[in-house]
Amino acid sequence: MISKALALKVLNEALATGGDYAEIYLEQNDSQAVTLENGKVETNGNRRGFGAGIRILNGLKSVYGYTSVLSAKSLITLAHDLAASYTGIRQITVKSIAKQTVKVINPIEDHLNDVPVAEKITLLKKCYAITAAVDKRLVRIQNIFSNYRKNIEIFSAEGPEGKQFENSEERGRLVMVAAAAENGKIETYFEGPGRFAGWHWFKDVLDWKAKAKECGEKAIMMMGAKECPSGRYPVVIANGWGGVIFHEACGHSLEATATAKHLSVFSDSIGQVIANPIVSAYDDGTMPNEWGSNNIDSEGHVTQKNQLIRDGVCVGFLVDKFNGRRLKMEANGASRRQNYKYEPTSRMSNTYIASGKDKPEDIIKDTPLGIYVTNFGGGSVNPTTGEFNFSASEAYIIRDGKVCEPVRGCTLIGSGKEVLMNIDRAADDVDLGQGMCGSVSGSIPVNVGQPTIRIKEITVGGRGGKLE
Amino acid sequence: MKFDQFFELAKTKGISESQIQISKTKSLSMSLFHHEMDSYNISEGQSVIACGVVDGKFGSCRTEELDASTFDYLIQGIIESAKASEKGEKAELFAGSEKYHKKNVFNPALGETPIEKKIALIHEIEDGLFAFDKKVNEVESVAYEEREVLSEFYNSFGLKLKQKSNYFYISAAANGKAGDEVKDAWDVYLGNDLTTFNPKAFIKGIGDKLLAKFGGIQCVSGYYPTILQNDVFSSLINYFVSSASSDEVQRQSSFLIGKLNTKIASSKVNIAEKPLTKNVFFSYFDDEGVSAQNKDIVKGGVLKTYLYNRETAKRDGTTSTGNGQWEGDKIGIGYGNIVVRGSKKSFEDIIAPIHEGVYITEIAGLGTGMNAQSGDFSCQAQGFMIRDGKLAEPLNLITLSGNLVKMLEDIKTFDNRMKLTLESVECADVYVKKMAIGGK
Repeated sequence: MISKALALKVLNEALATGGDYAEIYLEQNDSQAVTLENGKVETNGNRRGFGAGIRILNGLKSVYGYTSVLSAKSLITLAHDLAASYTGIRQITVKSIAKQTVKVINPIEDHLNDVPVAEKITLLKKCYAITAAVDKRLVRIQNIFSNYRKNIEIFSAEGPEGKQFENSEERGRLVMVAAAAENGKIETYFEGPGRFAGWHWFKDVLDWKAKAKECGEKAIMMMGAKECPSGRYPVVIANGWGGVIFHEACGHSLEATATAKHLSVFSDSIGQVIANPIVSAYDDGTMPNEWGSNNIDSEGHVTQKNQLIRDGVCVGFLVDKFNGRRLKMEANGASRRQNYKYEPTSRMSNTYIASGKDKPEDIIKDTPLGIYVTNFGGGSVNPTTGEFNFSASEAYIIRDGKVCEPVRGCTLIGSGKEVLMNIDRAADDVDLGQGMCGSVSGSIPVNVGQPTIRIKEITVGGRGGKLE
Repeated sequence: MKFDQFFELAKTKGISESQIQISKTKSLSMSLFHHEMDSYNISEGQSVIACGVVDGKFGSCRTEELDASTFDYLIQGIIESAKASEKGEKAELFAGSEKYHKKNVFNPALGETPIEKKIALIHEIEDGLFAFDKKVNEVESVAYEEREVLSEFYNSFGLKLKQKSNYFYISAAANGKAGDEVKDAWDVYLGNDLTTFNPKAFIKGIGDKLLAKFGGIQCVSGYYPTILQNDVFSSLINYFVSSASSDEVQRQSSFLIGKLNTKIASSKVNIAEKPLTKNVFFSYFDDEGVSAQNKDIVKGGVLKTYLYNRETAKRDGTTSTGNGQWEGDKIGIGYGNIVVRGSKKSFEDIIAPIHEGVYITEIAGLGTGMNAQSGDFSCQAQGFMIRDGKLAEPLNLITLSGNLVKMLEDIKTFDNRMKLTLESVECADVYVKKMAIGGK
C-alpha cells in the first residue's frame, strides 16, 4: 500500500526520539453483506475500510496513532507527532527493510468477494424457505451472508534492518435469525456459522439445510419453554459454542493484557493448579481455515498453538510484544486487533478445552437433578475479579439422568477460579463454535470450543423459582 | 471534496436522487499506569457514506478511502446495492425540513486547554486513588480521551447541514484486596467542559464504591422489593426505548406491538426523547436530513409514539419523528438524550418503607442476557440488602431477572438523583415493587 522507501522514512521519523521499536500497520478491508428479511433482499452493501496505524514502543511506554490518509505527508506527520511524546535521542536508524515470507496456512481458492451477489442470494433464499416451512408462527426470518477480504501490510523495526509482512484475511459468515410469536410472546433463535474459507465451504461443505431447519425449530420450541429456576445446581454444558464459558471464565484472564499488570486473578498462576486435573486447554491460531485462525498476528509473528492449561496446571499466557516486556516473556503469535484504529494486544483465536474420556450421554445419565445448557447467547467477564456471566439461549432441566423440559431466561454466574475447579466431567466430543469477541483492541472473530462438560455446582439465575 | 460533482456524476449513471455524508474525527487519548504514561494515542479519521435511488430502489455504499476514485467507488456500490434490492416500496430521499434547531455545542476551550493540564489531572486522580485507603491495591488505569467530530450532510436537492461537536471523558478503575477477596470499582465522567469535572468527588466516588464491596455474599433466591441505581435503570430503559422502534414493531419483533396509546407502565413513568438538549448528545438532524424534535415517548404510563424514520412513518400513515439513523447498509431507527422524569424524593425517602429488599448498583451481561423482542432479561448483578429501610450487607454474584414491561408496571416511585449516563439516558434511582433475585 506504500513503498518501502516511504516506510523507511516513516520508521526513522518514529524512532527519532529514542523509541526502541516502531511499526506501521496498513490495511484495506473490502466487505460485503447481503440481508434478506422474510425471504426478500432488504440490503446489499459494500464498504471499504482503509488506513494505517503507527506504534512506537519505548521500554514500557507505548504511543499509537492512526490516520485514514496514506499520503507521505500524513504518515510522516503522524510519526513525528507520536515521536514527540518521547524526549530521548535516537537509538536506532533503520537502514533497510526485508520482506518476510508468510506461510499460508489458510488457503482459499474461491474468494468470497468474487462470488456474484445473485449466487449468495440464491443460497440465502434456500435457507429461508427451509426455516419458513417449519411453522407458521415464525413471523420474522433474517438471513445474512457477510464476508470480507482484508489486505494487510506491516513494516516494523527494532534495529537497523526492518521487516515487511504481507497478509490477507478472508472470512465469511452465514447468519440465520428466526423469531416466533404467539399470543404476545416472542422468542428468537440464532445460528451463525463462520469460517476463514472460500465459497465452496459455505455452499457444499456446511450443512446449511440442517442449520436452517434447526433455527426455526428451536425458536418454536423456546416459545413453550418455562422460566428457568434459580439457585445453585449442577450444570452440564454441551460441546462447541458451550466453550464460551472457558473463553470468558478463564481465557480473558490468561491474556497478557490482564496478567502483565497483575490485573488478573491468574497473574501469578504459571505452574500452579488452577483447574480440575481433567482440564487441559489450548489457544490455537494455526488450525487451517478456522474462524479464529490467521497466518500471522497483528505484529507479524507466526500464529502458534499455545497450551494454556495442562492437567489442571496453568502453563502459559497469550502474549503480545508490548505486554511481553513486563512479563519478560516472548510474544507467541497472539497479538490481534479489529483494524488499524486499534493498538494490538494479546487476544484469543481458537480457544478450547481438550477432549476428556467420558461419553456425553453418561454425564447426563449421572446427573440426578440439574440444568443442561446446549447454547449460549454470550457472556462477559471482569478479569480482575474473575467474575463472569453467561446467558443461555437454549437450556433444559435434567431430572433423574434424563434431559426433560426446555427452560428460558437462564443465566450462569460465577468466578473463573471456582468454575475451573468445579468441572468434574469432560466428554470425548470436543467441537468449536464461532463468535465475535469484544475487548480493548476491538471486536475480532474467535472460535470457542469444548467437549460436553459438567460443572458440579454453579449459580443459575432465572425467574422460575426453585428447581424441583 | 466537491459534492455537486458527485450528484451530477451519480445522475448520469442512473441514480436519480443521492445523498452523501462525511464524518471527520480527531482524537487524543492517554492513560497512566504506576505514575507513568503507558499509552498515548492520537488519530485523524474520515469516512463517507453515500446512498441513492436507482429505478425506485434504495442503495448505499461507504468508504474510508478518499481520493480521486472515491466517487466512482461509491456510485458503483450504490448501483449494485439498489439492483439487488427486492423491497416493494418506492424509495425516495428527503428534500429537507422547513426549520432546523441548530445550536453551537462545540467548546473550543477543550482543545485549547494545555495538554500538561490534562496530564496533571489524571496524575491527580491516580495519586488520589492510591492514597484513598490502604485496601486500594492497584489503580488499574486512569485515562483521558477527547474527540472532535465534524459531520456534514449533503443531498442532490441542495440540502447542506453541518454539526461540529467535541467531548472528553475521564475513566479510572481501582482494585482492592482484603485477604483473598479482590474487588474493583470504576467510573467514567463525560462532558465537554473540563471546568465541570471535580477530581476529588470522582476519586471519592470510586473509592467509596470499592470499599463498600468487601464482604459481599449471596442472598437467598426469591422475589424482593428492588431499588435499581440510576446507572442500572439507564441500561434497562435503553432496551425499552429500542423496542419503541417502529421498524421493530412493523416487523413484529417488539413487545410494544399494538400498544400505542395504551397504558404500558405505572402512571409514575414519563419517558421523553430530547435530542435538542444542549449537551454532548445534542443532534439537530437525523441521517435522512430530517429536523430532530423533542417528544414524549411514554407519558403518565401511556405509550405516546413509536420512533419513526421516513419509510416506517409512511407505512403507518404518519410523519418521521426525526429518528432515522444508519444501521448497517440501511437507514434504520436511532435515538439519543432519553430523559426519564424523577421525583422530589431523596434516596433515603424511597428506601425507608422497605423492610427487606435489594439495592442493585451494578449489572453485567445485559447485552446477551436481554431478549429485546420479548423484554425478558437475566443478568449478573451486585448491590446491597436493604433491611428496615437502611442499606445493609453487600451482595455479590447474584442475578437480576425480569421483564421490561412488568418492571415498568411495577414501578412505585423514583428519587431525585438524576444522572446522564454514557448510554445517553438521564434518569434517577427507581423503586420496583418486586424483582427476581437469584443467589443461594
